[in-house]
Amino acid sequence: MTSILVGLLALSILTAVLALLLEVADSYFGFYGECQITINEGDRKLDVQGGNKLLGTLMDEGIFVPSACGGRGTCGLCKVKILEGGGPLLPTEEPYLEPEEREDNVRLSCQVKVRSDMKIEIPPELFLIKSFKAKVTGLRDLTATIKELNLQLIEPETIEFKAGQFIQFEIPEYEGCEEPVYRAYSVASATSAPNGISLIITRVPEGVATTYIHDFLKEGDEVVFNGPYGEFYLRDSDNDIYLVATGSGLAPIMSMLYQIVDQKIDRKVTVVFGARHLEDLMYMNEIKQLQERTSNIEFIPTLSKPPESDGWQGSTGRVTDVLDKIVETGDNKEVYICGNPMMVESVEELFKKKGVPENLIYYDKFG
Amino acid sequence: MGRYPIFQSPLLDEVEHRMGSCRPWHAGPLGKDTRKLVEILTEDQAEINSLGLTHEQIAQRLRELASKAKEGWGEPVCVDEKFLVTIHDARGKLPCPWGHPGLYRKTHIELKNIETGEILVWSDLSIHMVEAHGFYQGKGSVYRLDPSRVKKILEL
Repeated sequence: MTSILVGLLALSILTAVLALLLEVADSYFGFYGECQITINEGDRKLDVQGGNKLLGTLMDEGIFVPSACGGRGTCGLCKVKILEGGGPLLPTEEPYLEPEEREDNVRLSCQVKVRSDMKIEIPPELFLIKSFKAKVTGLRDLTATIKELNLQLIEPETIEFKAGQFIQFEIPEYEGCEEPVYRAYSVASATSAPNGISLIITRVPEGVATTYIHDFLKEGDEVVFNGPYGEFYLRDSDNDIYLVATGSGLAPIMSMLYQIVDQKIDRKVTVVFGARHLEDLMYMNEIKQLQERTSNIEFIPTLSKPPESDGWQGSTGRVTDVLDKIVETGDNKEVYICGNPMMVESVEELFKKKGVPENLIYYDKFG
Repeated sequence: MGRYPIFQSPLLDEVEHRMGSCRPWHAGPLGKDTRKLVEILTEDQAEINSLGLTHEQIAQRLRELASKAKEGWGEPVCVDEKFLVTIHDARGKLPCPWGHPGLYRKTHIELKNIETGEILVWSDLSIHMVEAHGFYQGKGSVYRLDPSRVKKILEL
C-alpha cells in the first residue's frame, strides 16, 4: 500500500515538473519579441509584440480588417496581402483562397501569426475603419421577425460612412454563446445623421447574433461595433436608379434613399420591395415621407402571397414579376439589389437579359 | 473517411479540434456530445447500415429538398405534397472541418413533415458532411441528423 502511494506521489510530481517545463518552453520558444509590420510600402509602420495572429495584432493597433467570425477562420473576409514574413500557407486558409490569390500572396490574417518583421498590403480605406462604442436608444419591432436597432454613438461621437455600407457588430458572451462573435449588418439610417445609426436585424433560427439582439439586448445597453465596410454604395452617374430589396435587405436601400433626398440627387429612382404578406412590409411611412420631399422616387411594394384578409390592392408576385413588367430596356440604368441570395441572383439575371451591363449591377447578397 | 470501420487518426484529431473551435456557433457540430468524434462516426455508420441506407442516398435527398426550398426565397415550399421546406440564409460561409476546399453558405433549412408535424433541420454544410464523411453531427447540435429520425421524417 505504501509503495502504491509513493508511486502515485512520484508520478504526480513528475507530471507537475513536466507541465512546468512545457510552460517555460512555450514562453521561451513562443516568444517572438518585437516585430515591425510595414503596411503599404511604409504608409504605416507598426512596432508590435510578436506571437499573436495578424488580425488581432492589427486590431490592437486600431486597424480593422473585416471579419464576420471574430478570427475563427470561418468567414474568409480578413484577407490581406503578405509580401514578407507570412510563413507557409496553412491548411486552414486553403479553402478560402483562389489560385490567383495564392499566387498574389493573399492570406487570411486571422490565421497568420506575427513571428517576425512583416510587409503587408491592405486597402487604404481600411485606415478609415474605426471601433465605436454606442448606446442602445431604441429597439422596435418592424415585423414579426425583424427588429430595428437604434444606436447613439458614445466614442467616437460621429461616424462617416457611405449609404449602403455595413458595420461589424460585436455580440458579447451571453447564455449559449461562450465567446464574443462579430456579425455584419447594413446601416439603415441617413449619412446626414452621423451621431447614431440604425440597423435592421432579421431573427435567424438558432442564430447566435440575432437571438442576442432579439431576446437579450435592451435599451440603455452599451454595444461595440466597427466599420464601415463594403463596396455596396451609390455610384455617381446620370443613370436611372433601380433599388430592389426583400426583407432586411431594405436596410442599405433606406440609407441610399435618405442620401438621394438629402443630397437632392436628380435621378429617376424606382424602388421595388418584395414581401410575403402585408404585415411583412416595413418603413412604409418613412418612404412615403421621402417621396413627399422629392418627386423622382417611385415606390412599388409587392406581396408574393397576400391573403384576401389583407385587402391588398397593390402589386402581387415577386420582385422579378414586377421588374419584368416595368423594365423595357437596359439603357441608362443602374441597379442595386439587396436581400435573399436567390432573389439577388434572379434579379441580376433579369436585368442582364434586359441589357444592363454587369458592371452597373451592384448587390449585397447577405450570403 | 466515413466508411465502416472508422479509425482514430491524427487527422481525425485535427478535425475534432476544428469542430470544437466552431463554438459558440450552435455549440458547434459536436453539440453537447461527450463521445469522441470517432465514436460518433462509428455508431452512426452502424445505424445507417442497420437501416439499409447509405450516406449518399440521404445526402442526395437532403440536397433535392434544399434545392426546392431555395426556389421559395425564404418562404415555405410544399414538396411532393408531403413536406414544407423553408431556407434561411445568413451572411458568411463555412468551410468543411475536414479541410476540404470550398465554402458552404450559412443556410438553415427546415423541413416539416405535413402529416406527422415532425421537423428536421440541416444546412448546406450538413449535406456535404453526411455525403463525404458520414458525419451526422453530435447529440445536442442544432443540426444533428439522427439517422433513424431522418429515415422516418423523410419517409426513406
